[in-house]
Amino acid sequence: MTLPLLAVRGVGKRFGGLSALADVSLKVAEGETVGIMGANGAGKTTLFGLIAGNLRPTTGSIDYAGRPITGLSPDRVCRLGIGRTFQIVKPFPALTVLENLRTAAMFGHAALRDVRAADRHGLAILDELGLADVADRSAATLTLSGQKRLEVARAVATGARLVLLDEVMAGLTATEVAAMLETLDRLRSSRRLTLLVIEHVMRALMEFCDRIVVLHHGERIAAGTPAEIGRDPRVLEVYFGA
Amino acid sequence: MSRLWAAALAALALALGVLPFAANDYLVATGLSLLMWLALTQSWCVLSKMTGYVSLGHVVFYGMGAYLVVVTWQRWPLALAVPAAGIVAALFAALVGLPVLRVRGPYFVILTFGLAELVRYALVAYEAASGTASRILFGAPDLVVIYFAMYALAVGATVLLALVARSRFGHGLRSLRENEEAAETVGVPVVGYKLAAFVLSAAIPGMVGGVMALRSTYFVVDQVFDPMISVTVIAMALLGGGDGPRGPVLGTLFLFTLSQLLWAHAPLAYMLILGTVLVVFVLVAPNGIVGLFETARERRRLGALAREPV
Amino acid sequence: MSVVATLLSGQLLFAALVTGAIYALVALGLNLVYGTLRMLNVAHGDVVMLGAYAAYWTFSGLGVSPLVAAPAIAMLGALAGWLLYRGVIRRLLGSGATASTRLEGNSLLLFFGLSIIVQNAVALAFTPNNRGYSHLDQVHQLAGVAMTGNRIAALAIAGATCVGAALFLSRSLAGLSMRAVIERREAAYIVGIDVDRVQAASFAIGFASAALAGVLLSMLEQFSPFSGFPYTIAAFIVIILGGLGNVAAGLGAALLLGVLETYGVALTSANLRSVLLYGVFVGALLLFPRGLFARRAVRA
Repeated sequence: MTLPLLAVRGVGKRFGGLSALADVSLKVAEGETVGIMGANGAGKTTLFGLIAGNLRPTTGSIDYAGRPITGLSPDRVCRLGIGRTFQIVKPFPALTVLENLRTAAMFGHAALRDVRAADRHGLAILDELGLADVADRSAATLTLSGQKRLEVARAVATGARLVLLDEVMAGLTATEVAAMLETLDRLRSSRRLTLLVIEHVMRALMEFCDRIVVLHHGERIAAGTPAEIGRDPRVLEVYFGA
Repeated sequence: MSRLWAAALAALALALGVLPFAANDYLVATGLSLLMWLALTQSWCVLSKMTGYVSLGHVVFYGMGAYLVVVTWQRWPLALAVPAAGIVAALFAALVGLPVLRVRGPYFVILTFGLAELVRYALVAYEAASGTASRILFGAPDLVVIYFAMYALAVGATVLLALVARSRFGHGLRSLRENEEAAETVGVPVVGYKLAAFVLSAAIPGMVGGVMALRSTYFVVDQVFDPMISVTVIAMALLGGGDGPRGPVLGTLFLFTLSQLLWAHAPLAYMLILGTVLVVFVLVAPNGIVGLFETARERRRLGALAREPV
Repeated sequence: MSVVATLLSGQLLFAALVTGAIYALVALGLNLVYGTLRMLNVAHGDVVMLGAYAAYWTFSGLGVSPLVAAPAIAMLGALAGWLLYRGVIRRLLGSGATASTRLEGNSLLLFFGLSIIVQNAVALAFTPNNRGYSHLDQVHQLAGVAMTGNRIAALAIAGATCVGAALFLSRSLAGLSMRAVIERREAAYIVGIDVDRVQAASFAIGFASAALAGVLLSMLEQFSPFSGFPYTIAAFIVIILGGLGNVAAGLGAALLLGVLETYGVALTSANLRSVLLYGVFVGALLLFPRGLFARRAVRA
């Protein structure tokens, strides 16, 4: 059996007296798309923070491509090949859309130190995300939908093999969701990405993910294919009180 | 614009370069002062313009450099003491940089001020306790020598800022200025970069302080840690605006010329007019002189577009 | 005096309380302005200075006791703050000058320019010499501690005002809306708070309390057009240590500063006052980058 790209083992996080995550484990194989599902406060974004290095786990360990990354700083984790988006978008407001990607391409896993190479790399990604025509506009002037796309583009521009997508569908209309799903599908095959996806939009989870992991109050309560999860009694109870 | 700018800069450099051979001592001293402000302002920008961490304590490096040269006076050759002044300032920045740069925004502004004042009063107390409240310095080099040392420092600071601004390092700094958390997430080593910018910004002011110490025959520690120096540097940088070395040159020239004119013609109203200029500038030109040029250029461009046949 | 005797001295305790109460009053206004507008008003101490001058002129010119003139002077301060907000600050907020990466620098420059104008205008008008006057300086003995009437009055008035302000913020509806703007401005707009009015009020209250502090100080010390700056510094140290925008913690930090200064100087020497003050400030901030009383947010 090949090594999983990401292995999270018994990870927990406490903030003072509050336990945000307790004993969560999961494995992601290369090329997979795994969805993370759960009510607000279930610990999903905390999990992303732990993987990406923004937070340090209180217990447990995280391995990426066979090497331990627990407690490494976010920039080191990025250089190893993990990219992430933020639930509340964090663009570089005064920089142009292209310059936002330039930073990612130059400093991320891709490490394209030459500005022109970095920009070529960035423009190709902008093209795939439908942002090519706003490349020279400052990031602050984009609409929310545009900024969410920029967030995804920037994470991909780091050259990451594993990308953590945190609720990229939130706030989008049904049409925009369909378009984004299509774009992400193309992106993941053209760049051979492994994805970890936090979503509330059911369609994104069911149609887009190979497997789903369900969190509740910081603990993992279920995991399996979308069909299995749709039938799982614990999940149904938590979500529908059934 | 940039060819015009390059020509203007070259003209300025030339004019300042030949000044000591063409003018009297008073004008040379004035030129020296201008060069000093250029060096200090450009070096401040390496940290504060690029990273957005506004330092109100820039004078601390200047003061430390001056103090080093004074306490090694007549014991170390100046060719050693002045570079040592820069090294000491840079070492200090390296030492305190990590904890200091964990502090953000307005907290950082006041912290840097407090740090400079702490060093100032600590040295004042030390001098008072060891009995040397003031020192008399004999045998300083000629004004022209000091002038060209400062010229080199001003050029060095300008080149440093220009190199940083267009480098990968500079792009990383700009990104962390825009959003530090996002920058870290896309791979910018923010902790190391901030520290590097801080240390780089300290070396030249240290040497500037060392060189200026040679000008005073009567040295009092308190004077070389004057917080007004920090404030003036900020004013010159912000009045200039922009992201590279262009702004500080414009801002320094503007403020320096204004203060020289006022001092000569309206000394009583000098401070009043200065204060008014600052207030008006912030309200009318918040992006500095460079911002004014850019707005004018943008207007011309839009005007040309509007006139194009559809 | 031995260390123990120093620490137990009622005299020093009284002095520390008076100093702390005045710092608290000065810091209060600064905190409100920063909390609601995120601007560093480095001219704040100059309002204190103006209040001192106003009290001086009413006393020596009109023979009116500063305690009687205090409310009127505070009202004038409020008016000045309100006018400054409407005339200048609103304009600054409207222009592009306050994009977050430029706000620090631009507000520093603006208030610094105002500070220069005020200090030098006063120096031109009233000469830069020190001024002072004597009022209520009869000594009263209470529990073996000698206190002058003016110090007792200063402590009482400053203390009452601070307590009143704290109550206003925590108990009244207007105070609640101010706290909302301090906590999260964008959200305050959404719940229907007139943010513009709150900001104007914070300027008015801020300047009023600074002017009042100036009136009280004029009874206790000599002052010149440049006396304001040390109070600006002290106020900044106080509000930074307490955490910016946290008014209650600021009051605590002010008392701490008063205690530190008074006892510190008594235990070491006057020369070391500034070293002590800045040393504690820098040390505290390096250990607690968001202030001594910062609440750590729980992130989900």
